[in-house]
Formats: sequence, C-alpha cells, structure tokens
Amino acid sequence: MNNNVIQGTNLAKIYNKGGGGEVGAVQNVSVEIRRGEYAAIMGASGSGKSTLMNILGCLDKPTSGSLKLDGIEVSTLTDEELARVRNKKIGFVFQSFNLLARTNALENVELPLIYSDKTDISRLARHALESVGLADRVHHNPSELSGGQQQRVAIARALVTDPEIIFADEPTGNLDSKSSLEIMALFQQLNEKGRTIVLVTHEPDIAQHARRIIQIADGRIVSDEVNPNPRVAEQEMSALLPKEVAHENR
Amino acid sequence: MNIARSIRISRKQLAAHKLRTALALTGIVIGVSAVIIMVAIGNGAQQEVLSKIEAMGTDLLIVNAGQVQKSAGRQQIRGTVTTLALADVEAIARECSAVKVAAPVQSKKIQVKYGNLSTNTTVVGTTTEFQEVRNFRIAAGAFFTDDENLASRRAAVLGQSVVNNLFEGRNPIGETIRVGRVPFEIIGVMESKGVDLNGADQDDQIFIPIRTALRRVFNVSYIGAINIRATNTQAMRQAVAQVSELLRDRHRLNKQQKPDDFTIQNQADLLVAQRETTNTFTMLIGSIASISLLVGGIGILAIMLIAIRERTNEIGLRMAVGASRKDIMTQFVIEASILGVGGGLVGIFLGVLGAVVVRFGTSWAVTISPNSVALAFGFSLLVGLFFGVYPARRASLLDPIEALRSE
Repeated sequence: MNNNVIQGTNLAKIYNKGGGGEVGAVQNVSVEIRRGEYAAIMGASGSGKSTLMNILGCLDKPTSGSLKLDGIEVSTLTDEELARVRNKKIGFVFQSFNLLARTNALENVELPLIYSDKTDISRLARHALESVGLADRVHHNPSELSGGQQQRVAIARALVTDPEIIFADEPTGNLDSKSSLEIMALFQQLNEKGRTIVLVTHEPDIAQHARRIIQIADGRIVSDEVNPNPRVAEQEMSALLPKEVAHENR
Repeated sequence: MNIARSIRISRKQLAAHKLRTALALTGIVIGVSAVIIMVAIGNGAQQEVLSKIEAMGTDLLIVNAGQVQKSAGRQQIRGTVTTLALADVEAIARECSAVKVAAPVQSKKIQVKYGNLSTNTTVVGTTTEFQEVRNFRIAAGAFFTDDENLASRRAAVLGQSVVNNLFEGRNPIGETIRVGRVPFEIIGVMESKGVDLNGADQDDQIFIPIRTALRRVFNVSYIGAINIRATNTQAMRQAVAQVSELLRDRHRLNKQQKPDDFTIQNQADLLVAQRETTNTFTMLIGSIASISLLVGGIGILAIMLIAIRERTNEIGLRMAVGASRKDIMTQFVIEASILGVGGGLVGIFLGVLGAVVVRFGTSWAVTISPNSVALAFGFSLLVGLFFGVYPARRASLLDPIEALRSE
C-alpha cells in the first residue's frame, strides 16, 4: 500500500476558463501528504490555500492535474463517487464549527455515519465524543456549549468515520487564545496517535504547531519545509494560566 | 443512507420553525378538511334523497293526468286534463299483469275546520289500496275500506301534522271535522312520514274515500293521478309499457294519433337520475375543494424554498461529510412529504370534526365517506411529493463549497 495519503501532481484550478479574465487560484501544485503527517498549509487570504484544501478534500475538482487519495485517482470521479470518498476517507473541521443547531452533540457527531453503511451509529458517535473529552456533554445542544467545546464536537464528527485524513480549515479562527490552544493540543494528541492532519491557516503562530509547513502564495507553493521545533500546545497552556488550565485539563 | 435517522434530524429542523411549518400546513389542512366536509355534505344529501325515493318504493309508478313538465326542478301540470277516470284505475288493476296494485289520487288544498280551529291542508281522495301502494301505515284507528268508499261515506284519516294543528295532541278519533263545508268523521290517524322529495310535508294531508271526494268535496268526475305498484322492481318497464298501452287504448289516442294525455313517472328512473345528479354535484364540490389542496401544495413549495435557502449551510455540511446529491434530494422530498402527510392527518381530523359539527349544527344529513378521506389523504401526500421535488432538486444541486460558506 502506498505510504502517501495524498499525492497531488500538477494540480490546477482555473476559474473563468476560456473567458477573458482567467484566474488561476491554484497553479501547477504538486504535493504529497504522507500517512501520519501533521502538515500546515499557510498563506495569506486569497493565496489559494482554501481552494487547494477543497481540491485535496474532494469538495472541488481540479481543472487539471492528478490527485490520488489513498492510492485512488479521484480527479475523474463523479459527484456521487466523490461523496462516498469524502464520507469514508476524509474528515473536515471548519472555522465556524458548522454544527446543526437544536441538535445535540451526539446527533451532530452521528451525521456522517447516516451516510455510511455503518450500523452501530450511536456507539461510534459516543466513542468519538469520548476521544475529544466530551463524554459528559453528549446530550448538550451547540448553544449550551462553549466555542472550544463546539469545535471539539466538530472534531469528533470528523473522527467518527475513522478517516484517512483530517482537514482543518482555520479551526481556531473563531476561538479565543485559550480555546485555540486546547484545540491545537487535541490535534497534536490525535497526530501522536497516528492520525494524518492537514491544517489550513493564515496565522503563523497556529501553523507553528504542525510538523511540516507548506507556504502558498498566488496559487503556488513557495516553500515546503519540516518544522524543526513545533510548538507544543500543552506546554503553552501551562505557561498561559498554570492552575486554571491544569485544573480544566485534569 | 440511514433514512430514519436523517428524518429524525429533519423533523427537528421543521419543529424549530413551528409557526412557519404550521402556516405551510394550513393550505393542506384546509384543502383536506374541505374535501371531507364537502363530500360528506354531498353524500348526506344524496343518501337523504335516495332514502326518500326508496321509502316510496322503487317499484312505484305515478301516472299523472296531462303532460307533466319539469321547470326549475319542480313538476308542473299544464292546464287541466279531465280524461283520467276511476274506471282507468280499475282497468289497470285488472288487465296489467305487471301491476300489483293501483290507487287513484285526486287532491287539493282545502280549508279544514274543527271547532274554532282551522288549517289549510291537502285533502287526498283515494282508495284503501293507497296504503299498500305508498307504504303509508295507520297509527291509530283504521283506514277506510272499499265498502266505505263505495258507500261514499264521509270518513277521514288524518296525517300527524293535521292532528297537531287541529287537536293539539288530543285523540281525534270519533271527532267530526269540516272539509270545506262537508262534515267528516275521523276514523284513523296515519303514521308520520316526514317531508317528500320536493320538501312537502307528507303528514299535512287528510285522506278521504275517492268517491266521497269527487262527489262531495271536489265536485268533479275525473282524477288527477294514479299511483301504481309494480309486482317487483324488475317488472317496472313492463308495467310502464302495459299501463301506457292500456291508457292510450282507453283514451282512444292511438286512432287519432294524439300524444299521451298522461305522464308516467317511474321511481326507478328517478332514482337513477337523482343518483347521477348528486354524484355530479359531489364530484363538483369535491374538485373545487381539491383546488385548495393545490394551493396548499404551493404553500409547501414556498416554505421548502425558504427552508433550503436558510439551511444552505446545513446542506453544504451534509455534502462535506458524505451526503450525495441523491441523499440531499431524498431528504428534502421526504421532508416535503412529511409536511403533506402531517397536513393531511390534521386535515382529516378537522374535516371529520367539521362534518360532525355540521351534522349537529344544521338539519343537513352528513355522511363521511371513507373514500373521500382516503382520497384527500393520498392527494395531500402526492401534493407534498410533487411540490417537494423542485426545492429538493435545487438543494441537491448546490455547490458544497459555496453552501458551506453561506451563513
């Protein structure tokens, strides 16, 4: 089996193709994400990082180029097939959490399983919530949870199908610094357990938590380096508010 | 896709906007209940009419003197025809094999007095056979016999309304009333029959022997009508033919090639005609009510379009976590159908309730037809499905990225 979860070759996304003002949101990008990696895609807004993430996450199709996900060529799949791929192999975490209102944490986490062929939906969803430390919030609605807790529910939802890779699009963008660190700590824990994670962000401080940093500008990769000294979110939390955070994290 | 779970989540979204969902359902609810109530009223009217015709007997023929013309639904006899005679009745009873029994009828509204009370009532001259022909039964005392008729006795049998008007509940038997100026002894009281097809009170009549009536009360030698009972319902057409032939012969119409000077009214035909009329009527009001179901469907359409705009983000999310376009389509079609079915159920409840209220609030006969309930319900489900497809398709064609970006 291929060790690359993602292998993108010469990927391009061109809007307004054939029209007067062609816009190359992503141009000739080749990128590989290996199993167990924790990579950050960094770039200013408009740099094409979100478009790249959408392509890598099978939400969007590249205009040209080849994309292999877990060894399977996905750039030529139909919409229906892409939906299956997203369901089985990909988990998403969004900036604005995107939880269903008036629907409790458990049911929110169950949502991807509804579209899968899994049967023990409730048990899997409960397990995913436990793994993000929300075992006691199972029946709470999003409005009854803090921002950090809501994002953890969203992470549980991304984990519940046991995907090959998790894409997190500005996951801390709507959170205060303390909650941000909690979420980054959670990603680091998950990565240590072997989960492949791609973090998309424009904040260098957040990107520094990843073990590899890919810089994007004007739709091209401008640098792709291993981060020699990733920041460790748990240490930062202790430094920030030693007693309180220690207590909360137990 | 696990449809049951998906519906559970959908239901929460619908329940979250209770007022809006209720408004969306109003059209369907009104449509379904209108269909049920309207058809129930139509059916009730039909059954009432039919039961009246059947109460008179479907093997009843009425021969009227002269050409009966129907205008505005009412029967009218043009002019006075004097050719129908008592001898015709006897000939019909004697010679027509398909006729079981025949009774002459000559009637007129006349003032009837008892003491210082008086009432205008229909005085019917007939024979004892009238009871059998028209299913009239005596409640107290006795009907007059053939002998009493032949003797031109001044005996009268009263309908219930006349008893109420003149005797105010006292026993009238043995008392004397004046019909016009002629005194009659009351020998019996009829059972109550209610109103007839044309709405006339059948209890507001008094019956006297035909000979007495012709000679002492009406002072004529002809009769207005003959009521005939055929041997059975199947023999109706034969009876009509026989009676018609006999009367044409007796009135010498064939030789002079004249049109009939009588009209034969056939209850069986009347029954069929009435049934057709009321069926048409019921279908008409039913289809008018169905239009409101259609309007209700447009309500569902509007609400689904609004819901989809509002839930664009949810749709994007569902797509991101693996819902295919087909899954999204299915979900919204099911949601629209739930609206249709929900509206249908509430409509059935209100329709049945409404029909019961009409039943007890008015004097109308109301019969709830299970067919109309099933039809209205099925139609509301169909309307939900039909008007759900377009919004659902729009939802399924959303771009997941743009949908996720929307607030």
